[in-house]
Amino acid sequence: MSTTANGGSPVVCPQRYHTVPTTVITQAEQQDRYLKHSELNELASYFSSGTKLMEIAATLTQNAEAIVSAGANRIFVWGTPMAYLEKPPNRKNLPGYNVFPRQRITTAPQETLKQQAPFYPFYQDWISKVVDLGRSLLDDKDPVPEGFSPINIRRYGPDRMKKSMRDLSWFLRYVTYAIVAGDSSILTVNVKGLRGIIPEDVTIATVVAMQTMKWKALTYFKADAEAAAIIKQHFDQMIADYQVAKPTVLLRQGVSNDQQGLQLPPSYSSAAAHRPKLVMKPNLSATEKQDAIKAAYRQVFERDITRAYGVSLADLESQVKSGMISMKEFIRHLGQSRLYRKEFYEPFVISRVIELAFRHFLGRGVSSIEEFQEHFAIISKAGLAALINALVDSQEYADYFGEETVPYLRGLGLEAQECRNWGAQIDLFKYSAPVRKVPQFLTLFGDYQKPLPDQHPYGAGNDPLEIQFGAIFPPENTAHTARPAIFDEDSRRILINCGAGLDKGASHSPGLGKAPGSLGTRVLRFNRSAITNGHTLNGKTPKAGQSTNVNFSSSWAEVVIHGTYRQVFGRDVYDGQRQTAAEIKLKSGEITVRDFIRQVAKSRPFRSLYWESLYITKAIEYIHRRLMGRPTYGRREMNHYYDLCARKGFYALVDDILDSSEYLEAFGEDTVPYERYITPRGYALRGLRGELPLPKVAPEDHHNNGFHSSYKGMDYTGVIGVVPHFHRALKHGMPQSAISIKLEEVKQLRAEMTQRAAEQASEDREESSEFSPQPEAVQPVEVAPQ
Amino acid sequence: MSLVMQVIQNSDEELRYPTPGEMRMFQNFCKTGERRIRIASILAENEQRIVERGSWRFWKRCPVTPSNSGNLRKTSSCQRDQGWYVRLVAYCVLAGNEKPLADIGTIGMKEMYNSLGIPLANWVEAVRCLKEERSPF
Repeated sequence: MSTTANGGSPVVCPQRYHTVPTTVITQAEQQDRYLKHSELNELASYFSSGTKLMEIAATLTQNAEAIVSAGANRIFVWGTPMAYLEKPPNRKNLPGYNVFPRQRITTAPQETLKQQAPFYPFYQDWISKVVDLGRSLLDDKDPVPEGFSPINIRRYGPDRMKKSMRDLSWFLRYVTYAIVAGDSSILTVNVKGLRGIIPEDVTIATVVAMQTMKWKALTYFKADAEAAAIIKQHFDQMIADYQVAKPTVLLRQGVSNDQQGLQLPPSYSSAAAHRPKLVMKPNLSATEKQDAIKAAYRQVFERDITRAYGVSLADLESQVKSGMISMKEFIRHLGQSRLYRKEFYEPFVISRVIELAFRHFLGRGVSSIEEFQEHFAIISKAGLAALINALVDSQEYADYFGEETVPYLRGLGLEAQECRNWGAQIDLFKYSAPVRKVPQFLTLFGDYQKPLPDQHPYGAGNDPLEIQFGAIFPPENTAHTARPAIFDEDSRRILINCGAGLDKGASHSPGLGKAPGSLGTRVLRFNRSAITNGHTLNGKTPKAGQSTNVNFSSSWAEVVIHGTYRQVFGRDVYDGQRQTAAEIKLKSGEITVRDFIRQVAKSRPFRSLYWESLYITKAIEYIHRRLMGRPTYGRREMNHYYDLCARKGFYALVDDILDSSEYLEAFGEDTVPYERYITPRGYALRGLRGELPLPKVAPEDHHNNGFHSSYKGMDYTGVIGVVPHFHRALKHGMPQSAISIKLEEVKQLRAEMTQRAAEQASEDREESSEFSPQPEAVQPVEVAPQ
Repeated sequence: MSLVMQVIQNSDEELRYPTPGEMRMFQNFCKTGERRIRIASILAENEQRIVERGSWRFWKRCPVTPSNSGNLRKTSSCQRDQGWYVRLVAYCVLAGNEKPLADIGTIGMKEMYNSLGIPLANWVEAVRCLKEERSPF
């Protein structure tokens, strides 16, 4: 499946674990309030224990090696397990890694990050083992689980040994983090489900190692009961989490057929910010009921309405508090209230009303176009009240919220999010959602079904590479990230054929330049042979079939030179900017027009105008249009030029364009390049309106300009490469979804076309030698003889 | 996101224990904890006053603005938003870095006010007034 649209991919930073401050703050933030006294006290006790926590963490860090080795020695026999622990990278003396010279912390500078001795003395190892064993008999240790037998290192293999040691040190490190965070959620999130990943046959051994590490860690805090309790708590939590089997994933519930059946791994949900789910029950206290009602207002109106508008629905509130109506009915009444209508119905188009209602009553965005259409039918038939009823009475509402729960946003971390409306959904959950008037979901779903539009990577309908003097960057107050274009390496811009060059090929479009009444594209061709032969044909009738029907006087050379400057610079140049030496060489026939163009393009004025002062993309685009006579096709072509410019620079770029086979085919040695293709946007800019005309509508003023074909016709038939593809699609009634043209296809098409053009041209030549005095393909301009 | 979380995340990315420098940051954070809590509760108590006096000052400086247009609803919703930012600042003071403000408040804010038709320059001035209002405490 190829997608042709994208709802944007805003960066989200899911929370990975809790710390005391974040937990407290997010809870208050969910309810739009300041911190309560109890929460402030919680924070205060965390802050006051900060020094203690830091001391613990520092001690553990300092003795990390000893603790890990205690754990490892307990479960491994016949070898030195510490030899398998890989050293942490030495970061001493890097910025931020050293203690400030003046303010040393109370504990001694750390020893842990010191390089570890590569060889661990065997006897020392054994002594420590024996000592530990003796101590462990004296100390109160956790009972060793049944079925534990030590692991033989030699049989276990060095690979697994390395992994085991890495894991053991990892356990200790995460305990340190948890201690600093004041919350063991970081352990829960990471350790739960680890049992299935670390092989099952060493589960018991791992638990024993953790227990031993805990015991070893506690030996450093014998005098300090408080610290010991903290350490014990986190180690116990880790062991308990390790022992549970892999928890089940959370499935996104849904009844509709177009649900994607998404799963959320449990670690995400336990790491995410905790959202309180408020329920309204008869036996709650008054303040709790008030909280639930406030939550309902926040969910439905997105703002604190009592504060902003001085509105409170006292009647309804008392009913729900006394239990006369359930929370579900309360929500329904809110949705059907005058205020909701005024806030979320009247200012919006119907499509946006539906999207916002989904957020308020189901806590999610619209998930598919079918769902949208269903609800659109409801609202257009019976109005807003019916839509609210449909949402509140839906099976989904009952599954998630039931009668008592206040609806909540089912955002990141609570549920797996769908990818087909990712950007739109994330935007919908923001505080700024009701400010957007554009129906985001509908636009996105609509874009999915459209063929690839004429667009640019910077955003749909935005082609900043169209050369306009001045505004090339999009206006800053529109966010293009919300509707980025799908524009991959192989897709190509749609180009309109406007030159005389290729209209004999596959394209049957008359082309812009061939319209009756118009002057057409002015093609200048310089005939060198006349000069090199040394005599002029002035005054003689030119022979049919040869393109010698031009004036070879010196003024003809002047015309070519002027035309060249005009093409390359886009204007006539000042006298000081002319390349006089090259001009003379051209006139004397020493160099061809192509070489002349090369010299002009490499000249100082051109370089400073179009290379030095522009950013690279625009420079390439400009030079390419000037020399090759068409805009770049797309990313693949641009990539080639980027690479070239980065490696070899400006002069190589000019050479590459002028030496390309396309240039030689289109213009050869002696023709001055002319504009062969333009983008639709560029075409529109040249009209009187100056903006993009609607497709399929023939703009009237273009008739006056002498263009007889409608925009539609040109759009489809004048486009190289797109044409056959498009016609095929139309013929077979296919949805015109994917017109991202693969380069191979394009190459093939072009090969066909050039071949056909060559055949046609040779036919033409034969024909014209008999009948017509002028070849049609390239029509040199006649200059009146003087 | 708080300072603590940042410290842990940084050290976890490099697979190491927190460095002495980070420990120091953490220690300072905890030492100033009491003051942070005091600041947050003062802000909470005086939010109304800050917003009211701030708007008064703001209207003196910048009389032509949506909140001073005489439309009561506009005034109250502007003041609601201002109170909202005061609260976010209180969160940031507690968390030790400005991530909560960015996450909840400022990302996408420009676009929102643009589409509401509220001149951003005035908004900035209003927040500046709120800030000055705070200085006596």
